[in-house]
Amino acid sequence: MGDELSDSKVEALWQGQPTEPPHISPEDLRRKMDRFERRIYWRNVREYVAGAFVVAAFGYYEWRFPTVLMRIGSGLMILGTLYVMYELHRRASARTAPAELGMSTCLDFHRRELERQRDALRSVWTWYLLPFVPGMIVFLAGMAWIVLKANPAVMLRALIGLGVMGIVVAAVFFAVWKLNRWTANKLQSRIDALNALTRDTD
Amino acid sequence: MASCDDLYEEAARAHGSALDRLARAYEADPEARRDLLQEIHLALWRSFESFDARCSLRTWVYRVAHNVAASHVARDRRAKAQQLVSIDTVEVSDSKGDAESAVSRQIALQRLFELIYELKPIDRQVLLLFLEGFDAAGISDVTGVSAGNVATKIHRIKNVLTRRFETGGHHG
Repeated sequence: MGDELSDSKVEALWQGQPTEPPHISPEDLRRKMDRFERRIYWRNVREYVAGAFVVAAFGYYEWRFPTVLMRIGSGLMILGTLYVMYELHRRASARTAPAELGMSTCLDFHRRELERQRDALRSVWTWYLLPFVPGMIVFLAGMAWIVLKANPAVMLRALIGLGVMGIVVAAVFFAVWKLNRWTANKLQSRIDALNALTRDTD
Repeated sequence: MASCDDLYEEAARAHGSALDRLARAYEADPEARRDLLQEIHLALWRSFESFDARCSLRTWVYRVAHNVAASHVARDRRAKAQQLVSIDTVEVSDSKGDAESAVSRQIALQRLFELIYELKPIDRQVLLLFLEGFDAAGISDVTGVSAGNVATKIHRIKNVLTRRFETGGHHG
């Protein structure tokens, strides 16, 4: 095998490439850390202000709906949106503790990341879809009430219309749930493959 | 017990160049690479609060660096769009250049980077540690891959490297 690049040659090739390691003092790092934390703080402030603005705007329009049921439904939808925003924020800001980076092997770290994603997808029904359901049902009931009050003769047509709308919404929810479950299963296969690497087969 | 600052300075002194190479292996864009390298140094410095010497300083440094870099790749949309492969399925043919050009260090290094960028995180980590001169036990300590699987992967890596860097002669 005289024509192959030997281990030492390939190592020398890799290690011999010119590098420019940065000279960062602990003081520089402390300053960077402070700047980073200030950035996170102001980002959070901006998000809360934007959230408050959205609630105020929706709240104003909510009072323009003609029936109590529609107002309650709309209010529940706002609460659902706020809950989903909170969950998204909580999940996005779940930062890795610095110690975890050094205590975990690459494989453990990678597996935990995949498990986090898998669990978020598996529970998507409870934290991303379900919070909208009560508001939607009450709002639709409010719409039905308006139609029936205006013209009781079209009751059957109104019910069919609402039924179709309900089926479409349910189909979208089902498709989202199914897609997430499929992605979660793919992640599980990757987790299983990583687990296999921790064991010798002999 | 050394302070965080002392440990960080020791790690940066001993492994600064290796960390720079590691960042190159995870990020091709120079500006993003500079950010990644700073992120690695920051994570390293913060991690030393919890360093209890249960593993060597070198193992700790490489775990932190690889974990930060792998997270960087996972966040990167361009990298997400790319289909990463396992070392077991990577193309071994040497069709990317003629035999003469392979003697050039620059082209050889470029080919090495092409291989690195193709690989899935764990295989990339094993390859990089191999290139940094870690033995199988050291690679296993950092990555958590069992010794037997590390040996198999290294065998495969050597095979791929040999085929990609052939400079002539007869090949089977």
